[in-house]
Amino acid sequence: MPAEIAVEIQGLVKRFGDFVAVDNVSLTVAKGEIFGFLGPNGAGKSTTIRILCGLLAPTSGRAFVSGFDVATEPEKVKRSIGYMSQRFSLYDDLTVEENLNFFCGIYGVPKERREERKQYVLSMAGLTGKRTVMTRLLAGGWKQRLALGTAILHEPPVLFLDEPTSGVDPIARRAFWDLIDQLSQAGRTIFVTTHYMDEAEYCHRIALLYKGKAVAMDSPRALKQEMGVGSMEEVFISAIEREDR
Amino acid sequence: MVILPPVLQLIIFGFAVNLDVENARVAWFDQDRSAASRELGAMLANSRYFQVVARPETEAEAQLLLDRGAVLSVVRVGPGFGADMDRGRTGQVQVLMDGTNSNDAGIVSAYVSRVVSNLGRARGREFPGGVEIQPRAWFNEELKSRNYFVPGVVMNIITLITLMLTAMAIVREKEIGTMEQLMVTPVRPLELMLGKTIPFALIGLLDMALATVTALMVFHVPFRGSVWMLVGSSCLFLLSTLGTGLFLSTISRTQQQAMMSAFFFFTPAFMLSGFTFPVRNMPEPIQWLTYLNPLRYFIEVLRGVFLKGTGVEILWPQLAAMGLIGVTILLVSAGRFQKRLD
Amino acid sequence: MKFRRVKAMARKEFLHIVRDTRSLVMALLVPLFMLFLFGYALSLDVDHIPTMIVDQDQTPSSRELRARFEGTPYFEVRGVETSTALVNREIDRGAILLAVVIPAGFHRDLARGERPGVQLLLDGSDSNTASIAINYAQALITGWSLERMAGRRASLPAEAQVRVFYNSDLKSRNFLIPGLIAVVLMIIAALLTSLTIAREWENGSMEQLLSTPLRPAEIVLGKLAAYFAIGAVDVVTSVLVSIFVFDVPLRGNLFFLAFASGIFLFGALAWGILISAIAKTQLLAYQMGMLSSFLPAFLLSGFMYSIENMPQAIQVTTYIVPARYFIAVLKAVYLKGEGMTLLWAQIVFLAVYGGIVFALATRKIGHKVA
Repeated sequence: MPAEIAVEIQGLVKRFGDFVAVDNVSLTVAKGEIFGFLGPNGAGKSTTIRILCGLLAPTSGRAFVSGFDVATEPEKVKRSIGYMSQRFSLYDDLTVEENLNFFCGIYGVPKERREERKQYVLSMAGLTGKRTVMTRLLAGGWKQRLALGTAILHEPPVLFLDEPTSGVDPIARRAFWDLIDQLSQAGRTIFVTTHYMDEAEYCHRIALLYKGKAVAMDSPRALKQEMGVGSMEEVFISAIEREDR
Repeated sequence: MVILPPVLQLIIFGFAVNLDVENARVAWFDQDRSAASRELGAMLANSRYFQVVARPETEAEAQLLLDRGAVLSVVRVGPGFGADMDRGRTGQVQVLMDGTNSNDAGIVSAYVSRVVSNLGRARGREFPGGVEIQPRAWFNEELKSRNYFVPGVVMNIITLITLMLTAMAIVREKEIGTMEQLMVTPVRPLELMLGKTIPFALIGLLDMALATVTALMVFHVPFRGSVWMLVGSSCLFLLSTLGTGLFLSTISRTQQQAMMSAFFFFTPAFMLSGFTFPVRNMPEPIQWLTYLNPLRYFIEVLRGVFLKGTGVEILWPQLAAMGLIGVTILLVSAGRFQKRLD
Repeated sequence: MKFRRVKAMARKEFLHIVRDTRSLVMALLVPLFMLFLFGYALSLDVDHIPTMIVDQDQTPSSRELRARFEGTPYFEVRGVETSTALVNREIDRGAILLAVVIPAGFHRDLARGERPGVQLLLDGSDSNTASIAINYAQALITGWSLERMAGRRASLPAEAQVRVFYNSDLKSRNFLIPGLIAVVLMIIAALLTSLTIAREWENGSMEQLLSTPLRPAEIVLGKLAAYFAIGAVDVVTSVLVSIFVFDVPLRGNLFFLAFASGIFLFGALAWGILISAIAKTQLLAYQMGMLSSFLPAFLLSGFMYSIENMPQAIQVTTYIVPARYFIAVLKAVYLKGEGMTLLWAQIVFLAVYGGIVFALATRKIGHKVA
């Protein structure tokens, strides 16, 4: 796999009994790209991300993250990714610093670098000086940013963010995407799922998932041109109508 | 989860709870080998209370058997036993007991003594004069301890289930957040409370019925009282358990806390209910404490209904006590069960 | 397996425990509380049996026999009647457990060398106490009639002299308390750990953990380590209380006791974690924990009811109750002073049990998502 490709999926299929959650999806994501994964609920977005993180095994097809096969080398994959899951942020009954320490230990951040990384994450989340605050007491937006921070403590080349801004106010959402942009410019690859259509505009390329299939895949601008519509919402609706025909 | 485990538990535990000593493992150490000693050995082996699992030849062997816990007792007869008996002197039998289980030890030593005294009679040496003792046990003629315990096992299973389910289920809704959803509806606190506890009450009664049927069919525990008594007293009892479950849910924020609190309540209630350890044996202050324990009353009622066939005339104090405790707990819990989040 | 990750996991787990003050306090105090309560309150020793004497004879002999009953602490004579009219009611009410009926003509028949019958009427519903009451009453009556005979030629054909080993005053406490320690530990271990993994599944953090380089075995080991610390404190306090408050003799080796406790604790905690991994919700985990730890620990472990007295089929089920082995070890170490030589089988079993359960828990967590 060429060094510029961070994530590659070839003919991925995932079945749960009779239900096909992911239906023959193929795509590649280049290094430093912000790749958006859009689609309605139940389209297969979270399942795909879980497979890429090594949490689920594919039924057939292959997937590679940072050059490692997720099916045969999940441990290597896990070491080179950061994952922000949909529900969980951080442990509410631990302080900000304790949460950071925990993930430093888990990800094996070398002792000499820990303080530096923690400070970086804290300032990125706007929480410098709030080390000893109980996580439970943080407002939603801060928690999300802190959670993003814990995912990058070990400076992974690839980030998987599953609906990272759900339930967050528009201003905090914009600030969050600024962060993502910063990370991308620093050379990290970011694979994001979202169902906020306006956020799709922030991505370099997006894939639209519907009933397990990738029904559209290109940059937002190209898709709008192709469908002859003015917004991502309309792209979405057109693509689905087209598929249903 | 509601039907199978209780019945399964009742069966397993019902068979397990048994203080009757039968087939106690003993060793027979005969240093005499006379007609008399052989007869004693045979009586021991034939008795249904004992099984002779070893016949040691030396002191050391006998001691090792005791140390290893291979036998509960070593019955030993010295070299002059038969001669003594023939000459009209008292034959000495030594009974070495493993006292680590004092209950079994006490019972076994009594059995051995009885066998030994029967020996005299068998050898035609009737003890002239003396008294004939005629024991008669009512309600449980064969003195099967299972009849004593199974009603208690029934009670414990029912308590555990209703208490546990009620406490955890309500706190769970608090944790997940659906409780908040319910609280903003026009539903009144009382209705909410009833809605949450009545299903568990029904489950409790269903399990009670299942457990009773199992007790009768599998364990042949007699049922001499009235079914209405059983149903009525169960309802009164459930008032207490559901009320307590409700109460625990109002003082717990998380499921973990609810669980530990339920356990904290249940274990002393269970141990101090007279289930295995008679209340009569407890120190005075603790006995006073048990007056507050609904399980204490319910087990008296259960034993009365199953074994004694007693009715309301005799058991009304217990019923009244359960009713009083149940209603009090429910009122306290209802008071705490506000339609607020804290 | 990286120790660094296990350490991080253990530290986080420990923080969780410490932050939940109520559970922590309970985990440390409940064993103590139970030991105290049950050590003082519970006893299988039978005495002060409520008794009624029905003296239908009213002669010197009957009065002597009556006095015997009144003079012993085993019986508590609640009333002396002349007829059996009240016996039914008093037994039904539970006011008396035993009625001793001395028939009319008792004194006369004794003098003539005929054997008068003394009836013992008992409430059989408490069969244990009833059996023991019968034994005591028989011993008392026989002892009395023997003394009357002393002087005449008669002597007992044969008599049994009982010598009790290890627990010479047959205090039930000495055999209950070591067992109680095992029961308490089993329950605390199950309670503490059974919710821990289910909780992480319920709030979504388990998925997060599994996406990191953290291995399932490291998760289990880290959690085990944190809870082991609590359990160890419980063991120490329990043993101290048993020795200094209840005077239960500890004749065996303290280090061996610690060693055996450690192995048992490992298995008990691992079991709780396994349950937590199998159950998807905390509610279910709690129910399973209660079913599989609490009740078996009380009823199937040999704590209150001897395993030998159970039907074969049930005895088989007790083989997988770890508390059973630990109780055997505790009783032997306390009362018999035994060590590894005679107890190695139990230790091996406990170790194997712990190992298997640990492996199962690890596998279960690993397989869950896929």
